[in-house]
Amino acid sequence: MSAAPVSPIREPLVTGSKTYHQITEDLCAPTERAPSPAWVIAFIVALIALTIGVVSILYTIWVGIGSWNLNRTIGWGWDITNFVWWIGIGHAGTLISAILLLFRQKWRTGVNRAAEAMTIFAVICAALFPGIHVGRIWVVFFFFPYPNTRGPLWPNFNSPLLWDLFAISTYFTVSLLFWYTGLVPDFATVRDRAKGIRRKLYDLLSFGWTGNAKHWQRWESLSLVLAGLATPLVLSVHTIVSFDFATSVIPGWHTTIFPPYFVAGAIFSGFAMVQTLMVITRKVLRLEDYITIGHIESMNKVILLTGTIVGVAYLTELFVAWYSGYVYEQFAFFNRALGPYWWSYFGMMACNVLSPQVFWFKKIRRSVTWTFIMSIFVNIGMWFERFVIIATTLARDYLPSSWSFYVPTIVEIGIFVGTLGIFFTFYLLFTRVAPVVAIAEIKHILKSSGDQFARKNAEPVVQQVESGSLESTVVEHHDDEH
Amino acid sequence: MNQFKFEGKLKMTFLVMMLIGVVSLAITFIGDDAVHSRFWSNILHNSVFFTGIAMLALFMLCAKITAFSGWHTVFKRVWESYSLFLVVGLVLMLIVAVGLWGHWHHLYHWNDAEAVANDPILQGKSGFLNKGWYTFGTIAIMGVWILIAGRIRSLSKQEDQSGDSSFSYHRKMRIWAAAGLPILGFTSAAMIWQWVMSVDAHWYSTLFAWYNAASMMVAMVALTIICLIYLKSKGYLTQLNQEHLHDLGKYMFAFSIFWTYLWFSQYMLIWYGNIGEETIYFKERLDNYRFLFFLNLGINFFLPFFVLMRNDTKRKYGTLIFTSIFLILGHWLDFFLMLKPGILHTTQEALAHSGAVEHAGHAFTAGFSLPGFLEFGTMIGFLGLFLYAFFFNLSRANLVPTRDPYLMESVHHHV
Repeated sequence: MSAAPVSPIREPLVTGSKTYHQITEDLCAPTERAPSPAWVIAFIVALIALTIGVVSILYTIWVGIGSWNLNRTIGWGWDITNFVWWIGIGHAGTLISAILLLFRQKWRTGVNRAAEAMTIFAVICAALFPGIHVGRIWVVFFFFPYPNTRGPLWPNFNSPLLWDLFAISTYFTVSLLFWYTGLVPDFATVRDRAKGIRRKLYDLLSFGWTGNAKHWQRWESLSLVLAGLATPLVLSVHTIVSFDFATSVIPGWHTTIFPPYFVAGAIFSGFAMVQTLMVITRKVLRLEDYITIGHIESMNKVILLTGTIVGVAYLTELFVAWYSGYVYEQFAFFNRALGPYWWSYFGMMACNVLSPQVFWFKKIRRSVTWTFIMSIFVNIGMWFERFVIIATTLARDYLPSSWSFYVPTIVEIGIFVGTLGIFFTFYLLFTRVAPVVAIAEIKHILKSSGDQFARKNAEPVVQQVESGSLESTVVEHHDDEH
Repeated sequence: MNQFKFEGKLKMTFLVMMLIGVVSLAITFIGDDAVHSRFWSNILHNSVFFTGIAMLALFMLCAKITAFSGWHTVFKRVWESYSLFLVVGLVLMLIVAVGLWGHWHHLYHWNDAEAVANDPILQGKSGFLNKGWYTFGTIAIMGVWILIAGRIRSLSKQEDQSGDSSFSYHRKMRIWAAAGLPILGFTSAAMIWQWVMSVDAHWYSTLFAWYNAASMMVAMVALTIICLIYLKSKGYLTQLNQEHLHDLGKYMFAFSIFWTYLWFSQYMLIWYGNIGEETIYFKERLDNYRFLFFLNLGINFFLPFFVLMRNDTKRKYGTLIFTSIFLILGHWLDFFLMLKPGILHTTQEALAHSGAVEHAGHAFTAGFSLPGFLEFGTMIGFLGLFLYAFFFNLSRANLVPTRDPYLMESVHHHV
């Protein structure tokens, strides 16, 4: 079967003239060789951070929320800021897998596996915060609406905080299934190369996959069904996170643009974190032929796009605050930009809206160094955004007598460091046990997007452009009945 | 047949449609109240709706070019031709703008000097809501849209002639398209606030502009499907097949859900917040436009959701045309529901103030409470105008862009 024509405008997505066997070798190798010194050092650092987090959390549970610097005006601080930040990061993976799959974007194959894994780890970090921020962690089962012995006492179904519980647990479940489904054939590939106990383990993990036609057929329909389910979930999760704020009557929180704008911001921050990880991963694991500069450029374009959407939303909020003629709304935004936390507002604007604009330049979009630096900027900027929304708004409420200020304690900072530790520990382990790039999916696009096929696939396109005649465009179609 | 011929019979059809529109407008004008609010609100309603379709076609085109999209190439001339309607749209919107200066109409509460003088909220907004900005914004912003649409169109036509395999025209097009995305993103919001949101001059919602754009987008895709099936039935666009329509059907399905998502977000947050200044918007519509309010959701969400959910309905001409017609109508009603209540209120104030009649309250008002024959007649007229301009522009270039570097991909498109 000859591959369909591919426009020469498109960059190849697999470089180095790979054969199917080389792909297997390249992508399985990281799970088969001993860890490099760089990996070991990184893992130790991540474990230290994780330990700091565990100690801080235990201290919080032991002492109580008094170990944080929250006060009666500012009831949410770094806890919910970190929660929203991590949830946001957890958006890119499922977006890349599901929405880009539905849109038939072939470049997703280079990065989808790692991004999905990252999603799961980020959601775990996020889910930690609602649990500990209630203080009495031993009654945290009150979150769940189960037939209970508390008489008529149920969680408040009218509260977006409860909707959050459902949204995040659903999202986590579907993301996990999606990720794992994709892994099954690749685990089987690793199994077929392994010996002894490793072989047994991977056999178990791959559910006895043999790669027969029926397996593939079911695997493909399951992927599509999960993609269809995950797509609305990508939107719903951050929409509901935004409801946590927007259903209130607090100026600066109660605004209708929050749902779509939170979703755009989440994708923005998620892609930034994918870039941070991918830039390092492709270098350390020598995957430059699978995660090409073209992949990085595409993701930078998504960052530019979503950063600009977020920019439109910021300016819309600012403008409508003035337009509303509502003095409290106006004050909330005046306070954001020029109040005691002005630096966080400017940090947010600079990192999220202004700095991604450098990606208008192709040179910068295709520079690995720039990409890494910018991805860090965006990570910081999106953290600031949540801090601005939460702390700045709460610090100045309706009564000037209760205006206050908030700086985190060392315990709060420790918990944040700890979540970074959890995230990187999991991610580093992941790179050791599973192929970081989806082997089966790369093989699937090789004939259309491998560099050695580019010239052949482009032939009909070049002929068409040069001749300008439509004769060659008449293709046999088996049109359905209508 | 790679050249569309815009011939007698089709031209005649659109001219008759326009005639129906003119007659409807004339009857409306004669039978109207003292300030001709039904007449003017119908002009505004349809001008905004069809200008919006053209604007979203341009947006879609920019997005497609920027995203290296290939599959839509066989019919990209349709979207190019849609976007050129912006020129006509500018004229239409200028008629409304000139009306502000001549005080021909009472569409906008904020244009009534006396009302503003006694209303601190309107005074606060007068820096933005004034006839100067309205006119300048319409001319300047739509001017930029027209410039982008024109450049993309002319580069696309030049590409047909060139046959150069270094794709230089394509590169230039990409620059215009990429610049077009943020420009359209920022400016469309400003125009929607002025054209649509400001008829309820006190009310505001940050989501409003995106909600409007989603509504226009669904209508645009629906109209595209109808026009494509028409062209195919006449023997044009032989390269277009079910695969392309299937993808357009998916867009229609997805954007309908996106529209509903924005509808729900806006409604739910305002309901939940329960702040009088905001809820008044929905209270008015629920109390006095109840039927339309729910019809809007029924047509624009439930119908496409259930009809287009299945795979095969997105591949059949019958179900696609059925859904498309309803969705165009449904989103036209959505704009009706956004514009008319506010305008009626302004009109009643103006009439009561001039002593012409008592404040009418919430009695049934023809052309406001529900669209009547005259509203549909006017809509048919504007649709005729839109289609006339569309087919005229379509006939002025190759129907299939013969040297587009994505054409072969598009021809071989398979979902």
